[in-house]
Amino acid sequence: MNFDLSEEQTLLKDSIQKFIADNYELSVRRKQSKQKPGYSEEHWKTFADLGWLGLPFPEQYGGFGGNLIDTMVVMEELGKGLALEPYFATVVLAGNALLLGGTEAQKEKLIPEIIAGDTKATFAYAEEQARYNLEDVATSAEKSGDGYVLNGTKSVVWNGSTADYVIVAARTSGNRTDRDGITCFLVKADAEGIKMTNYPTVCGHRASEITFTDVKVSAEDIVGEEGKGIEIVEEVADRAILALSAEAVGAMEVLYKDTVSYTSQREQFGHPLSDFQTVKHKLAEMFVETEQTRSMLYRATIEKEANEEKDARLDIHALKHMVGKYGRFIGQGAVQLHGGMGQTEELAIGHYFIRLQVIDTQFGDEDFHLQQFANKMDVPTEGGDEMMLPF
Amino acid sequence: MDISLSEEDKAFQQEVREFLEEHLPKGAEVWSKRKEWFEAGKAKGGWDVPKWPKEFGGPGWNASQHYIWDRETCDKSLPLVLPFGQVMLAPILMNYGSKEQQEKFLPDIRDHKVNWCQGYSEPGAGSDLASLKTKAELNEAGTHYVVNGTKIWTTMGHIADWMFCLTRTQTTDVRQEGITFLLIDMKTPGIEVKPIITLGGSHHVNQVFFDNVEVPVENRVGEEGKGWTYAKGLLQHERSAIAGISRTLVSLQKLKRNALKVKVGDGNLMDDNSYRKKLAEAEIDLRALEFTELRSLAGVQAGGAPGSESSILKLKGTIMQQRVQELTIEAAGPYAINWGHAKAGPSFSRMGMEMYLNGRAATVYGGCSEVQKDVISKRVLGLG
Repeated sequence: MNFDLSEEQTLLKDSIQKFIADNYELSVRRKQSKQKPGYSEEHWKTFADLGWLGLPFPEQYGGFGGNLIDTMVVMEELGKGLALEPYFATVVLAGNALLLGGTEAQKEKLIPEIIAGDTKATFAYAEEQARYNLEDVATSAEKSGDGYVLNGTKSVVWNGSTADYVIVAARTSGNRTDRDGITCFLVKADAEGIKMTNYPTVCGHRASEITFTDVKVSAEDIVGEEGKGIEIVEEVADRAILALSAEAVGAMEVLYKDTVSYTSQREQFGHPLSDFQTVKHKLAEMFVETEQTRSMLYRATIEKEANEEKDARLDIHALKHMVGKYGRFIGQGAVQLHGGMGQTEELAIGHYFIRLQVIDTQFGDEDFHLQQFANKMDVPTEGGDEMMLPF
Repeated sequence: MDISLSEEDKAFQQEVREFLEEHLPKGAEVWSKRKEWFEAGKAKGGWDVPKWPKEFGGPGWNASQHYIWDRETCDKSLPLVLPFGQVMLAPILMNYGSKEQQEKFLPDIRDHKVNWCQGYSEPGAGSDLASLKTKAELNEAGTHYVVNGTKIWTTMGHIADWMFCLTRTQTTDVRQEGITFLLIDMKTPGIEVKPIITLGGSHHVNQVFFDNVEVPVENRVGEEGKGWTYAKGLLQHERSAIAGISRTLVSLQKLKRNALKVKVGDGNLMDDNSYRKKLAEAEIDLRALEFTELRSLAGVQAGGAPGSESSILKLKGTIMQQRVQELTIEAAGPYAINWGHAKAGPSFSRMGMEMYLNGRAATVYGGCSEVQKDVISKRVLGLG
């Protein structure tokens, strides 16, 4: 048993750290975030050249056959750098949907293009009325001749505006909230009948509302099995939660460390702020909850990688709950301890706080996952009236 | 990063399961058959002292074996072992004790023949332990220390045969110097133990008075004046031990069973979503803590000491113990008030309240929560 990274993972971590240190000054990030396409195409090329885009894909498609721990390493470092590039949408969301359900033809064409940095994609699974319920899909895919016709609106599609392809969850049968009857389709983003309303997110990324009006797709565009799309959506959501949580833990670590360093320099009442015990204790709590969340990140990732279904299920809910709860605790704490400066856009600290706030809304928030955990946790089948254990 | 079980580990896991199935006392026998349980563990090759290294008769497990043992036992009620001898003192004797001391004390600790208590806190030295004043002076012949002073909050002092004790042999500018670690036979003349009754109405802790108590020099552990260094190492073991994470997880499962029996209208308390979410939230923190403990264990395995992680474990572990106790009396509801022994409401409520009240001490003893945060900010965050 060990919690060390492998030699390859350490090299990967170092190379992303170096890239971030050399390229991700806050002022540059701010500029890139504000202008189209919302990130640096040049950086995306570098991601491709350094092999990061190919990491989770099997070698037969030109990838490196990496596992969930490799993705965790990448996402944590990107999180520390507040990177803007659509790695999450393209590689984690669309990439995993393709890996899980893509036909050989789809995979052979698209995965090498993604790895090369030539194609971007995203995953349109959510709808406004569904909130965080993955099974609530109103967008319809009606059979028409050999193919299907898509109608409906998908919400908060990450990096929709720069995607070449969108993988869409639509309903081929059943009622709006039925588990069965959802099917995933691979659609070109410029297909006729697709309208995107693009908007910047508060954390500097881009999202879209996508409306489908009589969009024609063929049976070859199905990703996975017809009617069983929920299995893909759920599996992608699990991997997405692990990736986002790694990003969040990276941000949490930066936040508590930056706050330690700021409060050690900033003097008030003739002392560095960190001389005051009330400040020290807050910092200690921020450290503790970062490490606690990191423990759950490791636990859930390792269990998922090992296919320990029952534990992984619970711990992915536990993880996303903790990321929301402690992410907010650490983010707000960092802003508070930075005082007036913490309120400004000038310092990086606020941007990590905002990013954590946004991560809480992606794939279910703190309360949603607490409820899921509460529903699924192990409850004995029989009641009792038992003595509790002494200390 | 890998915690997957190797073939060897899987075989070990199977062995643990079979051992538990065969030897773990069931139900109420957990008290009456504890001797058989310890004997079976000993015969198995040190499984009665899981944390002990091989050279002292323990199983010498590696980190993944400890993990497997903890996972396999966390939902079962193991016979309770008081931590003072086996968990807290034993590692100190192994590291700093003389061969004679090891041979004299370790076998009895292991066989539960001798009860130990800890003599650290004093009326004027709580979390600020280094301000302790209990004096030990070497007699002129150099054969005995003469101990005078008092120790307080001595858990199980009234049933203890021996005490490991921090005494002051010298007063210097650096308060951590001049402290000497003594092993004191509680039957020595001049020792008086007075009970202290805590909020829960129970007698667990005591004040111990020393009036010219003679302690043979051979009962000094390590060098004179170096006791603080030895105790500091021990404190880290103590902090890991009193975190009691697996035990709190067991308590949480018991609480769920109790909650299923608590009536709410035509249903039971587990149907109450708001209560259920409180249980879930506690379980989530505990599951994370389990892994923090494992990370700490892996660090120890790789050659480190139980370091700053042990402060995380103590700090969060005791908060979680208290949380489960709070949820227990919440489950008892109106019957949480029953302070007698009449049959009124669920029977877990009487002891639940007692444990809740006594449990407030968990964030105070072994270095209070505030001290743990000081330790973290100093050792981990590098703040002066």
